[in-house]
Amino acid sequence: MAEPVSPATEPNRSDRRAELMLGALASVVLVVIVGMVVFVLTKAWPSFAHNGLAWFGGGGNVDDQLIAIFNSPADPAKYVYTMHAWPLLYATALVTLGAVAIGLSFALFAAIFIVEFAPNRIRALLEPVVRLLAAVPSVIYGLIGILVLVPFVGNHVITRGTKESVAYVVQLSGSSLIVAVVVLTVMITPIMIALIVDALRAVPGSWTEGAHALGANRWRVVWTIAVRAARPAIVGACVLATARALGEAIMLSMVSGSVGFSPNPLDGLTFFVEPMRPLAATIVDNAEGLSVKPLGQTLYAFAAVLLVSSLFLSLGAWAVRQPMKRYGVRP
Amino acid sequence: MKHRLPLVLAVVALAVILPASTAAARTTISMSGSTSVAPLAAKLAKGYLKAHPGAATFRLAQGGSDVGVADVAAGRVTIGNSSRDPKSSDPGGIVWNRIARDAICIATNSQNALSGLTQAQVQAIFSGSVRDWSQVPGSTVSGPIDVVVRTAASGTQDAFQKIFMGSAKVSSSAAQKASNGLVAQSIKSDPNAVGYVSLAFTKGLNDARYKGVACNLRNSKSGQYEGVRTFWMVTRGRATGGALKFIRWIQRSKAAHAITATGWVPIRG
Repeated sequence: MAEPVSPATEPNRSDRRAELMLGALASVVLVVIVGMVVFVLTKAWPSFAHNGLAWFGGGGNVDDQLIAIFNSPADPAKYVYTMHAWPLLYATALVTLGAVAIGLSFALFAAIFIVEFAPNRIRALLEPVVRLLAAVPSVIYGLIGILVLVPFVGNHVITRGTKESVAYVVQLSGSSLIVAVVVLTVMITPIMIALIVDALRAVPGSWTEGAHALGANRWRVVWTIAVRAARPAIVGACVLATARALGEAIMLSMVSGSVGFSPNPLDGLTFFVEPMRPLAATIVDNAEGLSVKPLGQTLYAFAAVLLVSSLFLSLGAWAVRQPMKRYGVRP
Repeated sequence: MKHRLPLVLAVVALAVILPASTAAARTTISMSGSTSVAPLAAKLAKGYLKAHPGAATFRLAQGGSDVGVADVAAGRVTIGNSSRDPKSSDPGGIVWNRIARDAICIATNSQNALSGLTQAQVQAIFSGSVRDWSQVPGSTVSGPIDVVVRTAASGTQDAFQKIFMGSAKVSSSAAQKASNGLVAQSIKSDPNAVGYVSLAFTKGLNDARYKGVACNLRNSKSGQYEGVRTFWMVTRGRATGGALKFIRWIQRSKAAHAITATGWVPIRG
């Protein structure tokens, strides 16, 4: 406590220096992000410009369109750009929303258990395991998906009759919406659990103790006080998980089916075993053809859509959190 | 404290520049391109250095046949590796040097003991006009056919289209995988699948025997097996200096032929 106080000018100068350095670093990050957005958008522009709003619509077969773009003639005036990316956008939305919805319900209850109900020994084991799972590289989940889940769904879940009923539209081989959603859920849930656990712990003890004193039982206290107060952090966890799910490429490229098909909810249960391919996986699968200029520009257009949607995701989360902030905690 | 940062930067810069400048003093052969050619190119470069120690420094990058052709045309690399044949839309001023040949096998799951497909059958299956194994004589499974192909940008896809399909179009409901390994895995895990892979990837799969001839090294060498494509090393103008010596060595020396023959068909030339 009684440390000698150095002359007033010394700490100020080093403070200033630190301030300048950190400021410069922060500005570099900002410049890099702005530069990246501008770069991707300029690269992607020809693809959007040639198609207009139809780019986001359906029509024709996406894979045929990609092949036509790849086989464009060498003359820049004759480049093919026709792209109707709806099946890819739809697949991205389906997989992401499915995984985040399932993941959120799992993560919320798991976090409540860890914070409020778990015996100390189990908690001491569960928490490190959850944090470890959150750090597993996605390609490992992809391998498990392709070596275990895809063959299982293909050989035991999909029946011969199901296969034949849609044989003229799409082939069912196990790589499917359900496998993609399951593997993605396993991938993002640990992160959500870890974040929600931190949030529940940050709820002031006096709030929950007050509720206990008024006679509420444990469950009621958790559900009405702690979870309610942690809502901003729960939204934050969802945003992080959604961002990871949106950008996941390698794993989804391995298990999703590699066909630009739109799974049809009218097919009943077959819907879940139909293949599809999200945007990020499409970029990875076609990266070999990046040197073909129009294909490269189309892939940049996919990247631009992902980039812009993650920007909107952050904005949307910010807007949603505003009314919750009054009684909320943020770890 | 104040002057340490520039010093550190200078040391880092030297560390980066020095090895680069000493390497530039020797002949450097840089290659990029086809992922199918890359394993062979790496083996050949290793063998070349064994035969002629210190003759050159090699840099090998991948990226796909189209990348290799574009890179070499722009002068970014000495040699562009390609597993597809020259196209009319390729940039001018480049020379294609044959270095080896590679077999593309039609493969099915090991439960399907199919042995012998005619070209018409291959075209019917891959274009989607035949969609059930019961319509394919010799097949030991039944039910819908799952067709597995490569993405458009792949050199293997290009060669398959030219050699097997002719003008027929591959069905758009086929699953498009990004690498030989992923195609092989899809076929392994699905009894109803059929696809095509480079000879090096056929382990654990059933060879569907295109035109009744087994897809192996011996039949590809003798010319009996027809599903064979050429591997190319592309240079900007005629090869000169180190690149010329390297390509000549691949095409003419016994040692290089022995290396190539471990998994590919050597070229006499």
